[in-house]
Amino acid sequence: MQRLVNIILLFKEYFVLALLIIFSLILLNSNDNIQLRAIRSYTVGFVGLFQDAFSIIPNVFELKRENEILRQLNVNLSDEVNRLREARLENIRLRAMLTLKERVEFKLVTADIVGKSLNLLRNTITLNVGENDGLHQDMPIISESGLVGKLIATSGHYSVGLLMLNKDFRASAKIQRNRTDGIIAWDGGEVLRLKNVSKTQDVRSGDIVTTSEYSNLFPPDIKIGFVSKVTETPGSLFKEIDITPSVEFPSLEQVFVVTAVHDTERVALEKKTSRIKK
Amino acid sequence: MMHYLKYFFYSFILIVIQTQVLRLLSLEGITPDILTIWIVYIALKRGQLQATVWGFIIGLLFDLITGNFIGLAALTKTIAGFTAGYFFGENKTPLTLGSYRFILIVLLVSFIHNTIYFIAFTQGTEISLLRAIFQMGLATTFYTAVLSFLPMFAFARKYIS
Repeated sequence: MQRLVNIILLFKEYFVLALLIIFSLILLNSNDNIQLRAIRSYTVGFVGLFQDAFSIIPNVFELKRENEILRQLNVNLSDEVNRLREARLENIRLRAMLTLKERVEFKLVTADIVGKSLNLLRNTITLNVGENDGLHQDMPIISESGLVGKLIATSGHYSVGLLMLNKDFRASAKIQRNRTDGIIAWDGGEVLRLKNVSKTQDVRSGDIVTTSEYSNLFPPDIKIGFVSKVTETPGSLFKEIDITPSVEFPSLEQVFVVTAVHDTERVALEKKTSRIKK
Repeated sequence: MMHYLKYFFYSFILIVIQTQVLRLLSLEGITPDILTIWIVYIALKRGQLQATVWGFIIGLLFDLITGNFIGLAALTKTIAGFTAGYFFGENKTPLTLGSYRFILIVLLVSFIHNTIYFIAFTQGTEISLLRAIFQMGLATTFYTAVLSFLPMFAFARKYIS
């Protein structure tokens, strides 16, 4: 017995180590023990008092990291807000287009603008629809805001439209209020011109201008814009009338092409009489 | 007897500092371990047996206070105390405490302690073994060793000059 005690005393460090390791492992295995949990809850509660006291000291590194995370979050949220705003605007635009589609009687083909020029004297747009969608030359292009232009060239899947902001564009138009007729044209400025309106006609700023029944290309009563300025030049028989287009050309993204608008019988008759006149 | 109470009191204070104050010095989630430095000090001052027992007591208190696996820090700090005890030499204590040897002992003991601790601590998580040892274990070891310069300088001033 004495010998055993001597051995234990000689290797006491190892015995103590072994005992404490075994005890630690038992504790590790008893982590869900109710008594241990109770002891732990007491100590955690006690230390909580210290935690409260120390929590007023800010951690500079943590604050820096938190700041970085918040900045990143801010960027992400801003991006999301922008995308939502974009989606909202698109929603408004598409709703307006849908309303127009339901309102008008003629058949419409929806098109996305895939190319646009607005800085030239002959401005055009390229659409992602073409002959395969039943389109051909001279078909009117409109949007929910009003008249846009007409098709001048088509291929299988694409078509090119002539905008109202083009030197070659002409359309029969009328003042909605009193049915005064004229010809819409563009001289290269920011506004359109309503031409051939006699000085005797009553035209006022704010009057709405629409397409007239005299046009064999455009359906009647499509909004073109409103009168923004009326000038009477001495020596001239006609008024100079500026028309602000109702369509926002720079932000235009989707349009409709009006199909089956031509009254073929009328067009044929007008062509025939035109030849007789010549 | 008096020194046991003193050690217990210091241990408790250091555990509170470890859990409440040193988080302020944490870098990328890595916190230096002043308890290991304290255990190394006890080992160099009191020998292997006391360091082993104090390692267990300090570890158990730490487990209870932090609410982690009870027994894990007790186990690792017991082993840390035992390992540090090998460097005990009654006549050399002041010299060891006040020199770079103190740092090297802390480095070794801390590495053994952290390797065992993080391997066990990350069991059942998605943290890989290599990351547990090299990223968490080694980083904590070096951070602890850097912090041990402070007591080393203090001991050097007290014992050597």
